[in-house]
Amino acid sequence: MAAIKVEDLEKDYGKVKALKGISFEVKEGEIFGLIGPNGAGKSTTLKILATLLSPTGGRAEIFGYDVVKRADDVRKLISYLPEEAGAYKNLTGWEYLTFMAKLYAKTGKSVEEMLELGREISDLGKRLNDKISTYSKGMTRKLLLARALMVKPKLAILDEPASGLDIVNAYVIRKNIKNFARSEGVTFFISSHNMLEVEFLCDRVALINEGVIVEIGTPRELKEKYGAENLEEVFMDIVENTLGGV
Amino acid sequence: MGDFLTIVMKELRHMLRDKGLLFGIIVVPLLLYPALGHLMQVGMQQAQEETKVVLVNFDTGNYGNLLIKSLEIAPNVTVTRIEAKDLQDAINKAKEKDYNVVVVIPGDFSTKIDANEKTNVEIYAIFKSVSTGIRESVSEGRINAVVNILNEYLAKLKIKNSASGDPEAILHPIEAQSYSVIKDRVVEVSPSIVVNLFSAQGLSIPIIILLMVMVVSQMAAGTMAMEKENKTLETLLTLPVNRLTIVAGKITGTAVMGLIASITYMIGMRYYMSSLIPSGDSEISLEALGLTITPKGAILFALVMFLTIAFALGLAMFLAIFAEDVQSANTVVSAGIMPLAFPVFVLMFTDIETLPAVFKYFLMALPFSHPILAFRAMLMGQYSSIYFSIIYLAILATVMLYITAKFFSTEKVLTAKLRFRRRT
Ligand SMILES: Nc1ncnc2c1ncn2[C@@H]1O[C@H](COP(=O)(O)OP(=O)(O)OP(=O)(O)O)[C@@H](O)[C@H]1O
Ligand SMILES: [Mg+2]
Repeated sequence: MAAIKVEDLEKDYGKVKALKGISFEVKEGEIFGLIGPNGAGKSTTLKILATLLSPTGGRAEIFGYDVVKRADDVRKLISYLPEEAGAYKNLTGWEYLTFMAKLYAKTGKSVEEMLELGREISDLGKRLNDKISTYSKGMTRKLLLARALMVKPKLAILDEPASGLDIVNAYVIRKNIKNFARSEGVTFFISSHNMLEVEFLCDRVALINEGVIVEIGTPRELKEKYGAENLEEVFMDIVENTLGGV
Repeated sequence: MGDFLTIVMKELRHMLRDKGLLFGIIVVPLLLYPALGHLMQVGMQQAQEETKVVLVNFDTGNYGNLLIKSLEIAPNVTVTRIEAKDLQDAINKAKEKDYNVVVVIPGDFSTKIDANEKTNVEIYAIFKSVSTGIRESVSEGRINAVVNILNEYLAKLKIKNSASGDPEAILHPIEAQSYSVIKDRVVEVSPSIVVNLFSAQGLSIPIIILLMVMVVSQMAAGTMAMEKENKTLETLLTLPVNRLTIVAGKITGTAVMGLIASITYMIGMRYYMSSLIPSGDSEISLEALGLTITPKGAILFALVMFLTIAFALGLAMFLAIFAEDVQSANTVVSAGIMPLAFPVFVLMFTDIETLPAVFKYFLMALPFSHPILAFRAMLMGQYSSIYFSIIYLAILATVMLYITAKFFSTEKVLTAKLRFRRRT
């Protein structure tokens, strides 16, 4: 069964057409990247998959569950990291992770296990006992990412996971994601601007521009098709061509 | 149930660490109110201190001495006789000894009284600073009281010597006896005392109830807006937790804080009030008027309060959906709840039954009228109107909570936006 199945998905915000009928599939265990320029519709797609927004047209399924009609079932399988997110400032990092772990405990994992994993991924050490209001942007991001991964979801939906992290931390995070996908069989759906990141991480990528998916394939396939050295060139090529074609 | 408790606990933990909130519900009522009351009490006590009178007697007759004796036996008055050449001399001497009142009995005092002519006693209160002057006026009052008694005494003495009959009856031929009829029962309490008591209740109960409604509503909206401001709402809404559980958890967390707040405010208010009302003054209580609160009445009233708060919290959460941050949440909640609460203040001054029918039904339609009406009905033992309030509020609260929960399960909770900040 496909982890994600999207068909002719459309989303209008009033007059703005953010998604104009996109379709793709993500296989179980895959790391799938959604890349595109600002305002292309990446976050919108992720929010629909995370059951936060309802599509204006088309449909999306997660492991066979419709994201609108079976939202409650979908939420048990996924873990979503928003592009811009915060944590409860008056709680400590540890209290935050504990709160989250308790809410996921009913999906069959033990709270202790989740917390142990969360401590490891967050890499915050003793700072976990400090209030979140004292954390830097990067520390908060690591905490949120730890929270998203420690629950070992069937599908992790991460909106620009490494945004705000320095090179070292971003590198560690990517390694973590890759390990997680291999060892735990977690499926990842990631949006990103960073072509290096995408090339390193993703098994397959979809290029989205102005609410339309213009290419899907493995990084290698795309590079070969466009005769490019790296994904960045592919990306620029496609963006310029679509803009030129208008 | 597990999720629900987890969310309630998180809400409480988060709120209990909010310094501003704690200041508002602990420090203000439990420390500031009693401190304020204590300050006023100290002021009042100083005013109630002994009146120290310096007395100068220029009179040689009997009546001057009689007045001095009367003052000497009057409570809270200490009299010191001094010799003085004139008024200025007397005032100087009084100042030296830290006395605050000078009483001067003129030389023709006894002669005039004997001749059935009017005479006077001069009372000088010495103000040492620009203050409220409570002390000085209390002193004046005490001396006036003594002079009044003496006046009556002398008048009766004269009547006895010159007319036949009961001097008291001649001096005060008519006396009004007033009673009050409450709940078809005659009580031997004058209407003015009953009115004082009623208006104290009439003013304070609506204010306390509406204040509580506003405080919990702001708190509830605050917890919602805080999720948006801190960007935690999106994560919260993707957790494997039923949306209704999230709403219920937040409402319950706020209600617990509201309960803590109402207890601390009541304790604080009690201290504040009790320091203002001088102890010993035998106050007429509601019970003395036959207005007792039965356990049944108390339970019904508590139910009305519970439903009112549930409605207010549901409405506040609903309104908070449209706010982006805590600041605009406060604005939306005030804008949403004030119009419902404000007309209710009319009830502070009027009985709903005396209003024209249109106003009456308008007020009855407003949810926040009902706790006030129910409080009065509870005192009067008119339970049938409380049953009506309960049914009406239960319907309103259910509909409100249903609408709020419905909105929470749509994307409106993320996309609905109203901006209240000025554009710069
Ligand atoms: N709440 C909203 N109301 C109105 N329009 C919106 C809303 N959210 C997004 N849009 C519009 O939808 C389009 C797609 O936005 P989206 O956030 O999905 O882009 P994105 O690919 O994530 O961009 P970025 O890389 O900048 O994060 C944009 O034109 C944006 O202006
Ligand atoms: Mg985005």
